[in-house]
Amino acid sequence: MSVVLAVRDVVKTFGAVRAVDGVSFTVQRGTITGLLGRNGAGKTTTIRMITGVFFPDAGSIEWLGSDRDARDRIGYLPEERGLYRQMKVKEHLLFLAEIKGKRGSSVVASAERWLKRFELWDKRDAKVEELSKGNQQKVQLIGTLLHDPDLIILDEPQSGLDPVNMLLVRNLLRELKEEGRTILLSTHMMAEAERMADEIILVHKGKVVLSGALDAVRDSFGKNTLHIDYEGDGGFLEQLPQVKRATIVPNGAEISLADGADPQQILEATIGKLRIRRFELAAPSLEEIFIEQVGAETMTMEANR
Amino acid sequence: MNKMFAVIKREYLQAVRKKMFIFMTLFFPVLMAGLFIVPGLMVAKGLGGKKVAVVDGSGALKNAFAHHLEPATPDPKQTLSGKRRGELPQSIDVEYVPANGTASPTAAAKPYFDRMNADKSSGQHLDAVLVIPGNAFEGNDAKMTYYSRSSTDVFTQERLATVANRAIQRQRLSGRGIDATVVETLTREVPIESVQLSRSGEQKKGSEATLIFGFIFAALLIIPSFIYGLETMRGIVQEKSERIVEVLVSSMSPRELLTGKILGVAAVGLTQVAAWLTIIAAGGAFAAASAMVAGFDVKQFLRPMVFVYFALFFLLGYLTFVCVYAIAGAACNTDKEAQQLVAPIQMLMMVPWFVMFAIITNPDSSFAVALSLMPVYGPITMFVRTLVSEPPVWHILVSIGVSIVTIAVFFYVTAKIFRVGILSYGKRPTIPELWRWLKVA
Repeated sequence: MSVVLAVRDVVKTFGAVRAVDGVSFTVQRGTITGLLGRNGAGKTTTIRMITGVFFPDAGSIEWLGSDRDARDRIGYLPEERGLYRQMKVKEHLLFLAEIKGKRGSSVVASAERWLKRFELWDKRDAKVEELSKGNQQKVQLIGTLLHDPDLIILDEPQSGLDPVNMLLVRNLLRELKEEGRTILLSTHMMAEAERMADEIILVHKGKVVLSGALDAVRDSFGKNTLHIDYEGDGGFLEQLPQVKRATIVPNGAEISLADGADPQQILEATIGKLRIRRFELAAPSLEEIFIEQVGAETMTMEANR
Repeated sequence: MNKMFAVIKREYLQAVRKKMFIFMTLFFPVLMAGLFIVPGLMVAKGLGGKKVAVVDGSGALKNAFAHHLEPATPDPKQTLSGKRRGELPQSIDVEYVPANGTASPTAAAKPYFDRMNADKSSGQHLDAVLVIPGNAFEGNDAKMTYYSRSSTDVFTQERLATVANRAIQRQRLSGRGIDATVVETLTREVPIESVQLSRSGEQKKGSEATLIFGFIFAALLIIPSFIYGLETMRGIVQEKSERIVEVLVSSMSPRELLTGKILGVAAVGLTQVAAWLTIIAAGGAFAAASAMVAGFDVKQFLRPMVFVYFALFFLLGYLTFVCVYAIAGAACNTDKEAQQLVAPIQMLMMVPWFVMFAIITNPDSSFAVALSLMPVYGPITMFVRTLVSEPPVWHILVSIGVSIVTIAVFFYVTAKIFRVGILSYGKRPTIPELWRWLKVA
């Protein structure tokens, strides 16, 4: 695999706050890389340095494998979406491609193809403000892809999407990956990253706390996590002596075992109280790893946000 | 470069398609002409027809208040220049009442006072009553009295007084036994015509016209700068509030973006100005041909150099203003905040407009010269000076140079503030904060 982008020791300070504090990572061609962390961890600032919106105070950002202008190699979907409301859909898309240095008949054909695929063909001459919010997001997504970028950067692409559009984005990302494109996906939704990402970079308080291939990262935490699905009230699981920490959701729990604890004893404790549907000893989920790394306290804040 | 062109194209096409642009382009010159010419003509004509009763205690002035043979169409040149001040204008309709038999002309006027209350449609309505005393030809303390509902209709009053006084003077002279033709010769007024002598020795006529045209051109020069400056400001605020700016600055440098926006808006302004100048040229040619404004030497305002200067100083003034508005837009998050920030600056920039009368009437005074060589105020003041006078070439060149430097400095500052401001979504920065931005960027 070849490296498309190398971020080396970048620092960005706003007043007294070090928003990004010596972050380094690489993005491999043809992968989906998840940039993970809670809001305020420094994800968006890091992305803004990659996209050239901010200059890093220190460190460097290197683009490899092409002499195209770095800005033109990126397809960027910002967290806070924005389109000119008064512009017509197709016209807007062509403008977005043009500011990335692409114009002419091939872009027009490509825009038309995308519009048809996203069922926006009928609305190609409508003003952006006449579109539903979901459709506006689709327009912005097309605008991110239209200039044929090497690296697609999506900042929280699924925020504010309904389940149907969420699925659409998920399928699109898989498809883009199969086409050999590189994707940097910033999200605070661990489950989503777990489903999509090949590589992960976990950022907390402006620093990378964990990075690598998703499977390798999970394996490094060992197969000592119990994943249980059940019917009934599993609240008591937290109190068991064999349990170091439990994340309890309705009808399921993920349990970190105390050192030397036997999972069999936990299974025995559930008899008569829960109706077990799954009982699996495996690597921890990303969410567990995240809690392990940054502490439960911040996760609670995240959940209450 | 191509990216900047994409921004220019977008700004231009979005702006010229707006209804506002089409309306402004087609109707603004008409509106301006209406705003300045119509009131001028209305004042000259005494705000339309007036019906006045003249109660004459002497009973001898009937002829003076009868209309003479007038040309079929009123001649605005004569109306404006006032050559026939001694004669009753067409717009004043006099109902002459001889009251030489009565004890008091004021008492005789009583029924006419009541008619000032009459309904206009009844045909009985009077706007005013002028009472001339019986001893008008002899008495030292003789005094005419003008009764009207509005004490401010000075124009009608003054015209009637002039007519009456001329007639009274003639009567006095005739009373001394002087022949009527001699009286006519002795009392003939000598009209005055104003001629502006330019350096090249060329003669221009019609100073009222200069004033009116000066105001029209100044308005055409300055108003678009404010309107499109505000548009630019609102556009930037909109890009920030609708978060478009992040996509833009991830594709090009803020400087390219800013340059593209300013040039795009400038192209819009120039298009509009070109359209206006065409309309004015066509309208002026038509007016000259049809002798609608026979008193105005319209051609003197349609010299090619006027158009060249207009386009040049328009562009200079426009770019200066647009930079100021762009700073406000980049610094603020809502239209309201931005407008509050520019309001005091706007007042400062309006200074030449407030003193326009002084500039037009005295284009070579040291005040006008100083203003025309200053940054910000230079373009409009200098243009007006070239329009109504002939400033030395070095004045013009210095003014252009100062403007270009001003624009370069403003653009530099704007680009820096823009770079920091467009991505700050916090509250409106204070002036010290803006200063810090300037140093940081």
